[in-house]
Amino acid sequence: MKQNSITFLVPVIPEKVQKLLDQLKEIKRNSKQGISKDLDALSIIHYARWVVIDHGKSWIGDTEKRNPKLLLVLDYDGSQNEMLLRFSEQTGNILDLVYVFCKGYPPLDSLTPESRVAYLNEHKIHDAAVYIGAPGRSVDQIQKEKHLRNFIREFVDSRNWEGVPAQTIHSRIKDEVLSNPEFDFLQQQTVTFPRINYPGVVLLGIGLIAIAPLLIIWALIVHYFYERKDVNFTRKRSQLSDVLLTELEASEDFKHQNQFTQLVDMKEGNVRLISIKFMFLLSNLLIKFIFNQGKLMGIPTIHFAKWVMFEKNSRVLFFSNFDGSWQQYLGDFIDNSGWGLTGIFSNTKVFPKTNFLITGGAYLEEYFLAWSRNSQLVTNYWYSAYPDLSIKNVNNNTLIRVELMKTLSERRAAKFLKLL
Amino acid sequence: MTMLELDNIQGYLIRGYAHMLYSRFVYLQISDAGSAKIWLSKIWKEITSAKHFHDKSKISSTHLNLAFTHDGLRALGLNEENLGAFSREFRQGMVAPHRSRLLGDTESSSPENWSWGASHQEPIHLCLMIFGNDKQFVDNLEKDKVVCLNYYEELASEFAGHGLKELFYIDGKTQPDNKEHFGFRDGISQPIIEGSGRVGDKDDVIKTGEFLFGYKNEFGVYPDSPLIVKEQGDLNLLSSDTGGSGQKDLGRDGTFMVIRQLDQDVNKFWSFMNENSKNPDGSINVAESLKLGAKFMGRWQNGAPITLFPDEDPGISSLVNDFGYAKFDRDGLKCPFGSHLRRQNPRDNVDDHGRKESLKLSKQHRIIRRARLYGEIYEGSPTNLTPKGEVGLVFVCFNADISRQFEFLQYTWANLPKNKELYNDPDPIIGAKETLDPGEEQNFTIQDIPVSKTIKNIPRVVTVKGGGYFFFPSINVLRYLSTL
Repeated sequence: MKQNSITFLVPVIPEKVQKLLDQLKEIKRNSKQGISKDLDALSIIHYARWVVIDHGKSWIGDTEKRNPKLLLVLDYDGSQNEMLLRFSEQTGNILDLVYVFCKGYPPLDSLTPESRVAYLNEHKIHDAAVYIGAPGRSVDQIQKEKHLRNFIREFVDSRNWEGVPAQTIHSRIKDEVLSNPEFDFLQQQTVTFPRINYPGVVLLGIGLIAIAPLLIIWALIVHYFYERKDVNFTRKRSQLSDVLLTELEASEDFKHQNQFTQLVDMKEGNVRLISIKFMFLLSNLLIKFIFNQGKLMGIPTIHFAKWVMFEKNSRVLFFSNFDGSWQQYLGDFIDNSGWGLTGIFSNTKVFPKTNFLITGGAYLEEYFLAWSRNSQLVTNYWYSAYPDLSIKNVNNNTLIRVELMKTLSERRAAKFLKLL
Repeated sequence: MTMLELDNIQGYLIRGYAHMLYSRFVYLQISDAGSAKIWLSKIWKEITSAKHFHDKSKISSTHLNLAFTHDGLRALGLNEENLGAFSREFRQGMVAPHRSRLLGDTESSSPENWSWGASHQEPIHLCLMIFGNDKQFVDNLEKDKVVCLNYYEELASEFAGHGLKELFYIDGKTQPDNKEHFGFRDGISQPIIEGSGRVGDKDDVIKTGEFLFGYKNEFGVYPDSPLIVKEQGDLNLLSSDTGGSGQKDLGRDGTFMVIRQLDQDVNKFWSFMNENSKNPDGSINVAESLKLGAKFMGRWQNGAPITLFPDEDPGISSLVNDFGYAKFDRDGLKCPFGSHLRRQNPRDNVDDHGRKESLKLSKQHRIIRRARLYGEIYEGSPTNLTPKGEVGLVFVCFNADISRQFEFLQYTWANLPKNKELYNDPDPIIGAKETLDPGEEQNFTIQDIPVSKTIKNIPRVVTVKGGGYFFFPSINVLRYLSTL
């Protein structure tokens, strides 16, 4: 089943924004017995978040007068309409409590699941690039494969396997699993692990080589006519606002996963717009062809991430759901992914100094970490369907399942046992 | 590569003072800034620097180093603008709620149960580190103690007259073979600061800026050093920011020092090993228990790495440190992925990265460790597991970026159970939780042929009893602070 992502941006009634924030705080406080329980029951939503934007101080120095808005982001399985309908049936009461503070929400006595969906659909904004760490895996599949792995582990730990050939162990595990009705689904659906699309990679490579002269000229134009005039981010982490950091940290590092919401403004002009659009196009192709194995540019900790442009391409949002702590982990992947992050964010205002679009920037570790924190937004509510699994666990569980169902040689069986 | 100004760097950063078996860390409060600055204007001359002596007889029999908390710098009179220039971790201290969550300081290890350093206790301003060695004797703890405590008495007689109030002290001992209470040799692998003049394996040579402000770090940029924002004191004593801002640099040749008092439950540790390795008849299998302990730790008790000596302790104290995991043990069959040492310094095998990339990542998370023992000197083993009273170690480490070094190691590589391809395995020495959530497991996986084994329900064997973040300034900066 295919995973998708959707973003809704709804205007908030300006004088009701404090009430909305209080309401979201209340929803978050009761989430275990409330909305998170509802979302668990739906079993089709991987991640969800509400974020109120443009309601307070802009830490990135945005001077534009703006009206408050409410973001809703959903990463989900299957068809959009079906998901939205089920979502608004299951959580309708809570949706009403939230959206009653937003402009144009239908009168409460007239609401139906369909009218809630219709309202949200009026405020849809488009994704620019989407990354999925375990493409093809539905919430249901992820949960089932987790149980499968735990079951196998339990079985393996209950016996002594010394001297037993790997092939024998593999088939003993298989027998044990298949004799349990809980795992009947294994025989009903076969799944495969996504593969790198080599023809696609080659075509993309040829395409890039073909337009290389153009890209070089483009980078030179950007460098000599734009980058030199850039206002750069030159603060270090010690110079960031304690107010912002205290608020961000208050909801971080409770479980093994965290989230990140970031909002930045685009630099003016078509050259920057074309540059970022090209980077998004390239990202989407790379994600499709290569980054389908659980790593985004070498980063092995991201479940879902995406970029969204809105308000006539003048602003960029970035959302990520990942394992570990952002502030500390991000630093580890500057080496691998710095050029990609720089290529995208160098087109947004007040980024650490870049050269030729993809150098400098993220590689200036101290400024980059500070910039990343400074442009982060407080997420008012966040949901994860499987907070106990890392993305490596999710992918490994699928591999276990795939290999379990095959007939394996001794060598392959030994490799299978390593996955456990 | 430039040679460092060793005369200006406090010695404990570069040297462990291993021959000084006795030390006393005194925690002080400044009650009168004026008098304290007079004291500081004299004491900075006595501070032990990192200067190297070819002639060992010239090394003093006593050593002295000094560090400040953020509260301490404020009490001394550093103004708010300049106090604000320090990193957030240092400003907040170890006991901010978010930090406690990150560090795993919960339940028994929660600051509310600490003996010192928590917010409900008297704030600490200074830590004075006093070391002694009787040069007439070799490796004689009792003799060293006399020298150390005599020096302490001499120093302490000056406290009251100089606006300093002694809050408490912790005495730290070192065993000649540097074994800690679980019985394992400690402190074998240490990073070497580039430019410090020390030599060693090239994979252990780390860019100066990882440990000292004013130099480039492993990312090729300058660390976030506290720069003077608002002029005060005799600024001629400070060097200018090497980063080129034109500001004066309080940090240069200094660093941050992390102190944590870690109580060790020797009985719980070895009982667990004994229980999980016992003979079929229920009796203790000493050899297997020692082996399991070594798997948890990553080295045998005598210090030999299990990566190179997988079957048994080679017996003689082995300080072998020149090895990689990718090269000798990619599958964790000798040293499990979850072992304490493999997690804390994964060397050339971080996640599934290649060797070169792994080394690069490992180097971004190194710390210089200086642990000393408290309580009865006790060498735990499967058959010797009940020390008298509380025992543990005062863990000290140095780093320029507390967030990316100490805190990263404690959170990402110790507390997170998702290291490598693992599912439910925190660091078995310093990362285990006391109580688990419903349905949560806490295991140690031993990779093996034909299939790995799970050691279930590993206990928490280390409890945090106190701690703090300190600024460990250069000697020039100590002098500068006396001019505020």
